[in-house]
Amino acid sequence: MQTLQDPSSESLFGTDQFFSNFASDHSWEPGWLADHRSEAWEKFIKHENSGIKDENWRFSPKHLFNLDNTLRLSSSKDLVQLSALKSNKALFQNLDKMILDFPDILSNITEHVGPNLGAIQTYHLTTALADNGFYLSTPKGAEISEPFIVEHKTPEHEGITFERNIIHLAPFSSAMVIEFINSDDTTSQGSASSTLNITLEEGAKLVRVLVQNANTSSTLHQFENFSLGKNSSLRNVTIHTGSSQCRSETKGDMTDKGAFFENFSLFLGSGNQLFDQRTRQVHSASDCTSNLLSKNALNDQSKSIFSGLIKVEEVASNTNAYQTNRNLLLCNEAEADSLPGLEILANEVKCSHGATTSKIEEQELFYLLSRGIPQRSAEKLISLGFLEEVIEKVNNQDLIEKIRAMIETKFYS
Amino acid sequence: MIQSTEFDIDTEKGNFRFDTDYAFDAGVGLNADVVRYISNVKEEKEWILDFRLKALETFLKKPLPTHWATEDLKNINFDVIRYYLAKGQKPSRSWDDVPDDVKNTFERLGIPEQERKFLAGVEAQFDSEAAYSNMKEGLEKEGVIFVGPTEGLRDHPEIFKKWFGKVIPTSDNKFSALNSAVFSGGSFIYIPPGVKLKQPLQAYFRINAENFGQFERTLIIADEGSEVTYMEGCTAPKFETSTLHSAVVELVALKGSKVQYITVQNWSNNVYNLVTKRAMAEEEAEVRWIDCNIGSRLTMKYPGVILRGRKARGEVLSIALSNSGQHQDTGAKMVHAADETTSNIIAKSISIGTGRSSYRGLVRMPKHLKNCKNNTECDALLINSESQTDTYPAITVQGEGNSVQHEATVSKVSADQIFYMQQRGLSEGEAMSLCVNGFVNDLIREFPMEYSVELKRLIDMEMEGSVG
Repeated sequence: MQTLQDPSSESLFGTDQFFSNFASDHSWEPGWLADHRSEAWEKFIKHENSGIKDENWRFSPKHLFNLDNTLRLSSSKDLVQLSALKSNKALFQNLDKMILDFPDILSNITEHVGPNLGAIQTYHLTTALADNGFYLSTPKGAEISEPFIVEHKTPEHEGITFERNIIHLAPFSSAMVIEFINSDDTTSQGSASSTLNITLEEGAKLVRVLVQNANTSSTLHQFENFSLGKNSSLRNVTIHTGSSQCRSETKGDMTDKGAFFENFSLFLGSGNQLFDQRTRQVHSASDCTSNLLSKNALNDQSKSIFSGLIKVEEVASNTNAYQTNRNLLLCNEAEADSLPGLEILANEVKCSHGATTSKIEEQELFYLLSRGIPQRSAEKLISLGFLEEVIEKVNNQDLIEKIRAMIETKFYS
Repeated sequence: MIQSTEFDIDTEKGNFRFDTDYAFDAGVGLNADVVRYISNVKEEKEWILDFRLKALETFLKKPLPTHWATEDLKNINFDVIRYYLAKGQKPSRSWDDVPDDVKNTFERLGIPEQERKFLAGVEAQFDSEAAYSNMKEGLEKEGVIFVGPTEGLRDHPEIFKKWFGKVIPTSDNKFSALNSAVFSGGSFIYIPPGVKLKQPLQAYFRINAENFGQFERTLIIADEGSEVTYMEGCTAPKFETSTLHSAVVELVALKGSKVQYITVQNWSNNVYNLVTKRAMAEEEAEVRWIDCNIGSRLTMKYPGVILRGRKARGEVLSIALSNSGQHQDTGAKMVHAADETTSNIIAKSISIGTGRSSYRGLVRMPKHLKNCKNNTECDALLINSESQTDTYPAITVQGEGNSVQHEATVSKVSADQIFYMQQRGLSEGEAMSLCVNGFVNDLIREFPMEYSVELKRLIDMEMEGSVG
């Protein structure tokens, strides 16, 4: 099978002219960016699979993540919409605007790297071709309560879009970013591949929420790489209900003392949906805390893969690291794969992980049935309660209501 | 056989000097002639030779599993290993050659005089006949077969051929293929229907029949409703000049039978111990692997149970202790293949000094199954700041009413605990030992009495010098 991992001449990205055409279309960009793109393109072309089974793709039907259905780069320019900014404290712009207006500020993106958790080739491709996305930076000490809202859209039928998203919080600033991924219609098979690099400097605080409700024909690749500085804190909450298949790679690196990283996610699957989640919690400094909770509720033949690793480096004493994966099987044919991992090189640590997979507890169901609630409603009620643990981590009441409504709609459809 | 590495391990331990006379061995390196030679010496039937040759092909074809396993495997040089020493051609050494610390260890563990000499390699034979002969008679009367693989396949093909290489196919992994090509030594056991052995069978009983080979092959078949406990290994360190051990152990538990397999291993720390162990459990059968790994340079061992019949039950209890320069890569596999099957895994590891312990697990429940349950607990204890531990479970669940729970914790001995005991007059070392023994206590209780006493002493000894 031809996959993106193995570009052949028939694939959109396999032809020789493809990148040179792309480059000439982007000849207005600064030279460093052109170099950066062609470097990434080279890596994409040269990347070779080792041939033996890759642990980072264990349990994953890799072929589903190929981009064979992709025939063109999406031409629409409005796939990323940003909320209007009331305060003028922060810099919040589309990527193409940034390239045009503030190329110097942007130039350090050449140093960004991906989470490197398996889909390396797609990451390089994204780096080479990204012409969309958003950029957010805050000045030192700014506490911005109004959330920054980004609305992403999946592209038209057979189109693909590549995005690079960047968040940079200066020391002691705080912000909240809410991202949505939606589709215009229910049938277009669009693909979107995006990178998100978050850099938190000393004492910075960020809450990032992603609400993904793309149509169930689309394919998503997400590469999230977070760097947490001294005493900074990041709460990352991702809600996934949409897309046909979604590969999500998230890495949080606590690079200095006292960093605090939380990563919460939920996936509500139905039909043939696939959610392939890979995470890393990297403790590179002492006195850091990380906590991860991944909850998947699976209907029909949907499938979830959770592969998470806590890595505690030798220098990271006084580490607290937790990781929990809970899967609820609502249907006999649903499948949950779980790969919770630990690699501990320091000894002053408190570290644990837990993974459970089961169907709805008979007793819980019986309790509701005996109070006259019909079976179907009772099951929904319990499932919603199961997911609530993640939803309530979103500290924005309006958004919580919105997410609850979205999940209920999905359940009743 | 080990090429130079960055590891600073104590290779002296296995470094006995003795006169060698290898006139009757198969030489070094591995090729089809070596395999033919082994088969010829053992006067095997044609089909066994074919089996071996095919296995050799598989071995040569398969890559080392370094995409998930440690790169240390690359340090094995397969070309300088002796794959077979003919019976009676084993090197002998004198008691004076045995290092003092080894003698001390024997003394402190309370190993019987006769066993000491065998374990130190002074005597290739261990006279267990006296203890065994009474028992042997009883076993024979009940129809129990307890022989080596050569005799098993030659004298009882109707029993053993059917299952030989069926639980663990040759191509399962590179090292099971290697074993299939050059196996010699091991135990083939058959327990007839309804026979419940009260005494455990021990590898010791057959020690004079090249039981502790490098490439031993064990096949235990428990017929319907029978019960058996098998024990191999011992707590005393076993000093080896050969540095690669790759055994294959297959258990077949037929309907309603119970099989318990107990291993205690303490290889010297220049040994690669790469073992494939798997059991098949039919309806209502129960298989328990009790596994204790201490010593060796690298141990890779993941006992598994394929739960093939309704209500079958599998259990793995394991203790791993890795000291400096050692890597214990152990775990368990539970493959559920029938309704209402249950499995339980409890793994505890202790890392001392620069030691590294890893747990790798696999639990699989496919969608056509109902009401299967698994429970997994992995606890790791880190003693020193350079100690390392990893956990890599892989869990796949589908189907109706199946449930899995997995939990792992990593901790160190808390300063509070040590302080509490020091206040009451224990030295820091004693306090640490007590904590570690407490950590594994509930598992050690599952071992037979004499083993658990020895294990406790051994842990005390391993803990020495690890604090401060």
